[in-house]
This record gives sequence, C-alpha cells and structure tokens, in this order.
Amino acid sequence: MAKTYDYLFKLLLIGDSGVGKTCILFRFSEDAFNTTFISTIGIDFKIRTIELDNKKIKLQIWDTAGQERFRTITTAYYRGAMGIMLVYDITQEKSFENIKNWIRNIEENASADVEKMLLGNKCELTDKRQVSKERGEQLAIEYGIKFMETSAKASINVEEAFLTLASDIKAKTEKRMEANNPPKGGHQLKPMDSRTKDSWLSRCSLL
Amino acid sequence: MTEEAVFPDQIVDGKNKTNVRCQFCNSLMLKAQEGSYNEQEVDVPLMMQKQDRTAEDLNTESLKHFWLVKDMMTFENIGFSHSVNGKKFLVCADCERGPVGYHDLTTQHCFLALKRVLHKDS
Repeated sequence: MAKTYDYLFKLLLIGDSGVGKTCILFRFSEDAFNTTFISTIGIDFKIRTIELDNKKIKLQIWDTAGQERFRTITTAYYRGAMGIMLVYDITQEKSFENIKNWIRNIEENASADVEKMLLGNKCELTDKRQVSKERGEQLAIEYGIKFMETSAKASINVEEAFLTLASDIKAKTEKRMEANNPPKGGHQLKPMDSRTKDSWLSRCSLL
Repeated sequence: MTEEAVFPDQIVDGKNKTNVRCQFCNSLMLKAQEGSYNEQEVDVPLMMQKQDRTAEDLNTESLKHFWLVKDMMTFENIGFSHSVNGKKFLVCADCERGPVGYHDLTTQHCFLALKRVLHKDS
C-alpha cells in the first residue's frame, strides 16, 4: 500500500518526574465506584498527524514511561529519535538544574544530530515560579536550541512547540536530501510558514 | 458510539465509508477508506471499571466488528497504552478515553471497534 504521508518523525519527551510531561486530564467524572482502565495501565505513545508546507507529517511521540525516575534513560529508548523535548517545571528549580544532566544523557545515548528543544512547563503558575524566563532562554542559547514556556494545563504554546520542533526536523531532513540530491534547474521559492492550525495537542497533556 | 444496526451502512467495498472519530471529543482517528472491515470475537475491557475489581477480574465486553489497520502509521491521531498480555489498547489521542480497540504485538495489526467510535466525516 502506498504511503499516505511524506515524513515520519519520532519525538521524545524527556525531563524529571512531575514536570507535567504527561498531564492527563480525564474530563469525564470518575465516581467512587468506577475507575478507568486506561488510567490504570497508562499510555505508551501517540501518533499525531500534522501538515507543514503542504507536507503530511506523522509524529510518533513517546513519553519516558517513568524511566526518568532512575535519572537515566536507556539507549533503546533513544533509538531512531529525531527530536527531543526537554521539559522542566518553572516552579521546581531542581527540574531546571537537571536539564544539564538530561542533555548529557542525550549526548551519550542519542544520535548526534537529534533536534532538541527546551520547554519550561506550568507557566500558568506565576505565583510559584522559581525559574525566570530569562534563565530558560539563557540555557537554551548556551546549548544552541530553541526555547518556549508552555502550559499544558492552560493550552499555552504546547501545539506551537511541537510544530516548531517538527518544522526544524523537516528543514534539516530536506536540507540533507537536497545535499544528496542537488535539484536540477532553478530554485523554487516556497512559502515560509504555512502551518495548519488544528486544535490537537492543546489539551492538558504534553502528548 | 455507533449502534450495531447501522454497521452495514458504514462498510463500502470492505472499507470504512466515512472518517472515524472519537465519540467524546470528535478527534479524527482514521480517514475514510483506510480500515478494512474485520469480524472476530474479542473481549475488550470496558472503558469504565468497577473500583473493587481485582487485577484478574477485568470488566470486559465481547466485541465482534472491527476496522483492521495493518500499519499503525495509517492512523491520523491515536494513542497506544502500555502492553498487557501481548496487546496494546488503542485510545483517543486527544481525550485519552478508551479502549477503542487494540494492537496485536505479534502481527502488529490494529483493530478499531466500530461500536466504540463515531462514523462521520466532520
């Protein structure tokens, strides 16, 4: 069967426990006698479809499945990953300090050209903030990666962050393809940023 | 959910006539014509479970009508649970409710239960 998409990107979410990587909102009421089957076993990964510059992109997004509790993530988890969201909680200084350790872990285990992005999550909790936006920006500059503050709970920037990461991976992939396969004839100008705006990823879940 | 009586209307040339969506949040799971109709009898856990059940005693229901999706990347938006006895359960990628079907780890095939989803284009 013919492929119905142009690109497939595997993305990972990495960061300390409790930074809101998987802030799952069950919007239907759970009463005292019932629980949901899914909340008990948990979610492993999701498939999302987005469109960037008229290209259909499938994202396979993985959570760390609690492996982060051991402060290390195995090589197997990183295998094939093309993009990594490094997530800290702006109300937890420690989770921000640990980003350095996560980056080291990525350097040791993931492919060298994996695209990274830094996210300061829970930005809706302004009274509890321990990490300023400037420090987040500074750290991102230090590592040469992009940065955004997000709120999974208030649907701020989450979708935007994934589109940005996907767009950067796409640009890198196309650049590599072009280098291997120089186009014949003149260059074609493409519209810069024709992103489609869907509402996926805007719920209370970083996934 | 989709009533069993209207299942035949959803099948055209053995495929799903319309898009398949989440019954709770309308999230697009599968585009029209991407699933093949498949009948089998499988016990699938209920979306709501009794709190006092034991681990071995899952509340399930027997489901018979599925859309078979051989390559998981065919889905538009879908979530996969952690593995339980050789299966992963399928959930809505947006509201995370489910199971709406299962993924067989041996064959890698996905089965989306007609009864637990909506059939409509928009």
